[in-house]
Order: sequence, then structure tokens, then C-alpha cells
Amino acid sequence: MFLEIKDLSVKIENKNILKSLNLNINKGEVHAIMGPNGSGKSTLANVLAGKEDYEILNGRINFKDNDLFDLNIEERAQEGMFLAFQYPVEIPGVNITPFLHSAINSKRKRMNIEEIDNLSFAKLLKSKASDLGINIDMLKRSVNTGFSGGEKKRYEILQMSILNPDLAILDETDSGLDIDALKIVTDGVNKLKTKDNSFLIITHYQKLLDYIKPDYVHVMVNGSIVRSGGSEIAAEIDKDGFQKFQ
Amino acid sequence: MNIQDNYLKNKKNIFFSENKDIQTYREKLINIFENDRFDKKNNESLKNINIKNFTDFKYKYLISEETSVINNNQENSYSIVSVNGQCSSFKDDKIEITKILDEDYNDFSKNDTIENNDHFVNLNSLFLNSGFKIVIKKNHNIKIKISNIITDDDLTIFQKNNYICEEGSSLNLIEEYENKNNSTSNLLNVIKLEKNSQLNHFLIQDNSPNHNLIITTHSSCKKDSTYTQKVYNFSEGYVRNFHYSELIETNSEADLQGIFFLKDNNTSNNKTFIKHLAEDCKSNQVYKGILNDRSKATYFSNTYVDQVAQKTEGYQLSKGILLSDNASYFSKPELKIYADDVKCSHGSTIGPIDENAIFYLRSRGMSKIAATKILISSFINEELSSIDDEQMSEMIQKKLVRYLSKVK
Repeated sequence: MFLEIKDLSVKIENKNILKSLNLNINKGEVHAIMGPNGSGKSTLANVLAGKEDYEILNGRINFKDNDLFDLNIEERAQEGMFLAFQYPVEIPGVNITPFLHSAINSKRKRMNIEEIDNLSFAKLLKSKASDLGINIDMLKRSVNTGFSGGEKKRYEILQMSILNPDLAILDETDSGLDIDALKIVTDGVNKLKTKDNSFLIITHYQKLLDYIKPDYVHVMVNGSIVRSGGSEIAAEIDKDGFQKFQ
Repeated sequence: MNIQDNYLKNKKNIFFSENKDIQTYREKLINIFENDRFDKKNNESLKNINIKNFTDFKYKYLISEETSVINNNQENSYSIVSVNGQCSSFKDDKIEITKILDEDYNDFSKNDTIENNDHFVNLNSLFLNSGFKIVIKKNHNIKIKISNIITDDDLTIFQKNNYICEEGSSLNLIEEYENKNNSTSNLLNVIKLEKNSQLNHFLIQDNSPNHNLIITTHSSCKKDSTYTQKVYNFSEGYVRNFHYSELIETNSEADLQGIFFLKDNNTSNNKTFIKHLAEDCKSNQVYKGILNDRSKATYFSNTYVDQVAQKTEGYQLSKGILLSDNASYFSKPELKIYADDVKCSHGSTIGPIDENAIFYLRSRGMSKIAATKILISSFINEELSSIDDEQMSEMIQKKLVRYLSKVK
């Protein structure tokens, strides 16, 4: 199993958020998690990425034969996990290009691959940015600083394409995007999809899933997955909402 | 030993001790020390320090002959080695360097911008044993680099430097303080900018843990002149940077910036007092601190806008990053505005490093320590990237790397 979440219960500030959650993802699969506000979707994304604000009450997570809880945040990223943030953080003064260069090399170092030099990285970045319709001038700016909502999401996908993760978690990447930006972002995701990587897509709406076809759709309510199936579930939610799952 | 006995005992080594007017003035100062109970609550010069360590001291001063002034006419630049607060005399068509005179001392003692409860300025006036005066001649544009060397342990340097930028002149002044001995240097800079002149004043401070550095600057700006001060404090010993500024004629400007990097038990006290006394003047202040371990810093800022100073612009900003729960940064920006057509603001943000930003950077594979360091660098990036002088920029980057290497 590529990612196996078994009986996971998590709390934050005395509030139980995830409750005995189970989820299995195989290599090459695209899974979507849909759920109403406050159901714990983003908590799951943050727990997978290693955010330290949460208390793990029970359960285990295996990722590529590792106990995920043995890995800290950066080790998870270096092992191939990537979280595209719902609200990417603005970091004034940290320039995008050296930051991403350092990020890719930290992953290569862990994988015992030769580090990528400045020139090769600049070429790679330019070509990936061009694929995503990102202006080269944007790469001279600070991380997410002064970006519009759409630019921030596009920049998340740019990072994803540079880091080429084994498991990408997209936390409401569609929120705040107009239809053109949504298309650019989802095209970027589809280009990255191979039989060797997997995606976990968190969303409220079916719209995103019109562009990225999931193999499985899960409905998450009140910290647990209450139903799993194929794309038909997304259509059902689009028609009737989440009420009937609660 | 009390102040009076200390003064009387060392009088022969103190500047202008034979001048009767100055003697009378100094007697007043001695009275202030004898009567003041060192009220820490209302006196910024006393925060976080034990004043007794500075008032009850053993006076020691050595005259050095190793001072030098080297000039390179082609580049209009001069290198000065000031030893124990002294500097050789020098004169050409662009600058003149001399010893300070009784009249310079008297001129300053009559100025009321520095409150008489600034005990360090009073100590400087009482025990003055060194200093020099530099005049930048009319319409010349020059650069001066001063290395301030203290030769021995346990010296008590009380130094007063006067800078006069004549009309239309421009001075880039870089001062380095890198002393590794256990001494105390109390320096008062008195700066006068004549019409349409400019002074860019950089102070790089990097002293060892037992070296105390007290710098007080008083600047006054006439019409269309600009005084810019940028302080980079990497010192491991106590540093006090106080600045008193007067914008006395129209369209003059004071631009003050201070960045300090503290660790261990170190303390840095910063204070600014800017008086807007004419129309169309501008002041801008940015003070940023990074504090680790048990270090402490203060920033007191007072911008006074006189009722005649219409169209004033006065901005104050202080920011701090606390890298440890035991570090503290006290910031108190104040505005006193008596004119009605002004643009003024003040702001202060102090707190630990942004955990969300750390998480974001780590989620891309960066280690926690690398993420912390990159965020510290980014915090001061704007200020450091604005340094035009390549040599100085490199020097400061090296000091930053050294500071960051101790951040765990």
C-alpha cells in the first residue's frame, strides 16, 4: 500500500476533529475527499504533511513503507509528500527561485541524487513556469507576497511540478479560482499524473473533479469517511448537497 | 568612588577642565548625579541596566600616537583610524579634521534637545577625554571610513565628535566599532547639516561581550538637508544607540534605521527623539531586532511636531522577532503633534517567528533550522539589500551568517 491511514483519531485544543478515519491509496490512483465545512478535510491534509499543532490520539499512517509519525515535516516532503496549501503563506523577503532551488536539492540529497546546479535549475523552473502560464517576472518576487488568489494557487502547482512528489495533497486548490485559472491549474495537475504517483484532492465542489478525474471519491463528515465510491458520488453531492450524509 | 571625587581626581586628564564656564556647567551635572535617585521608571537611559556600573567606575585613559588619516583623492575617500577616541589633524580643500575646542563644547552644552536626565550624555560631558571635529567643505562630495580602535582593557573613553557638513556638501560616513577588550566607550556625535547638505551615516557595531558601547547622536538639519543613519548592531556587549534630531529648517529630513542582532544575556537600548520645528520636513524610522536567548532590547521613540511644522511627515516603525521565550523587546513609539496638517504614523510588531511560515517552508523539504534562518534573513532583507556599498554589504552579510550559525 502506498498510503494507508488506519483508525486515525486527532484532536486540537480539546476538540476531536478526526475520528477513527481509514483511507487507503495505491500508487497511480487519484482520490477525492469531499465534505462540508468543518468536517476535518484540511486537518487530514495538515496531519499528513506533519503540522505539529495536532494531537494524535490513535491510529497509524504508513507512507511508502514508512511509519509517517517517525518522519518530521521536512522528511515527509523529502520522501515525496507534497501539500498544496488552501491558503499559501506570504513570506516577504524570501525569493521564490532560491527557495525552490533549496527545496528540490534537499529532496535530492535525501534520495542520494546529485544536487541540481543553478543553471539547470533556472532552465527547469523557466520551462515549468511557462507550462503553467506563469510570467517569468513572478519568479523574481518573494514567496506568495502580493500574489492574487489565482497566482498563489498557480504557484503552488508550479512548486508541485518542480518537486515532482509521489503523493500530492491538494487542499481546496479550486477555492478562489476563476474558471480560466481553474483550467490552468488542473491542466498542470493532469500533466504531472503518472502511474507512479498519487493524488489526494480535497474539495467542496464537483467542478474541480470535472477537470481532474478521480478514481475514488470519499465523503467525509464529522471527522470520518462515511461513504466511498466512484465519480457518481460527486454528481450526487452536486445534486443533493451533503445533508443526506450527515 | 562618587562622581565628584572621580572627577576631581582625574581632572587633569579631562578636556577643558581649566575653562571656568565649563567648570560651572560640570558642577551642575555633578549635582544632577548627586540628587537623582535614578528613577528607572521614567528614564529610558536606565532601562535594563545597572547605572551604578557606569557611574561608579575606575577612570582610565591612555593617549595613543597611532592615529592616522589616509586620503585617496581620486575617489574622494578617506580612511581614518581613530585610537582611543583621538584622531590626527588633517586638512585639504575638501575636509578639515581638528581637535574639538572649548567653543564646540559650550555650543553643545547650551542645546536643550537632550534632556538633562540622560545620564550617559552627562557622564560624557563630565569626563570628556577625546574626540575630534570634521568639517566637510562647501559643495564637496566625499566618503570617510572610520575604524574606532580601543587599545587596552578597562579604558573609559569619553569622546565627542563634531561633524559639520557645509552647504551643498555630501558625506558618506562609515564607522566601525569592533573591539575585543573590556572597555567602555561613551561617544557623543554632534552633527550639523547646513543648507542642501547630506550625510549618510553607517555604524557597524561588533564588540566583544565585555565591551560597552554608548553612542548618542545629536543631529540638526537646515533647509533641504538630509541626515540618514543606519546602525547594524552585532555586538555581544552592551550597546546603547540614542538619537536626538532637530529638523530646524524647511524641507529637511531625518531617516533613521537600526537593526540589532542579540543573543545570550546581551542588552541593546535604542531611543530616538525627533523634533519637527519647520514646515515640509520628513522623518522616517525603522528599528528591527532579532533577539535570542535571554537578550533584551528597548526602543523608545518620540516624534514631536511643533505647531509651525505644517506638512510634516513622520513615520515610526519597530519590529522584533523573539527566538526564545526568555528574550524581550519593549517598544514604545510616541507622537506629539501640535500642527494640524501632518501625516504621521507609528507601529510596532513583536513576536516569535511565524510558525505558519516555518511549516510552509518545511513542507517543501527545508529543515526547521534552515527555515528559521531564511525567515530571519527575510525579516531584514529590505534593509540589507538597500546597502549600496558592496564592501559594507559583504561585511554585514558575514556578520549575519555568524549570528545565524548560533541560532539553534
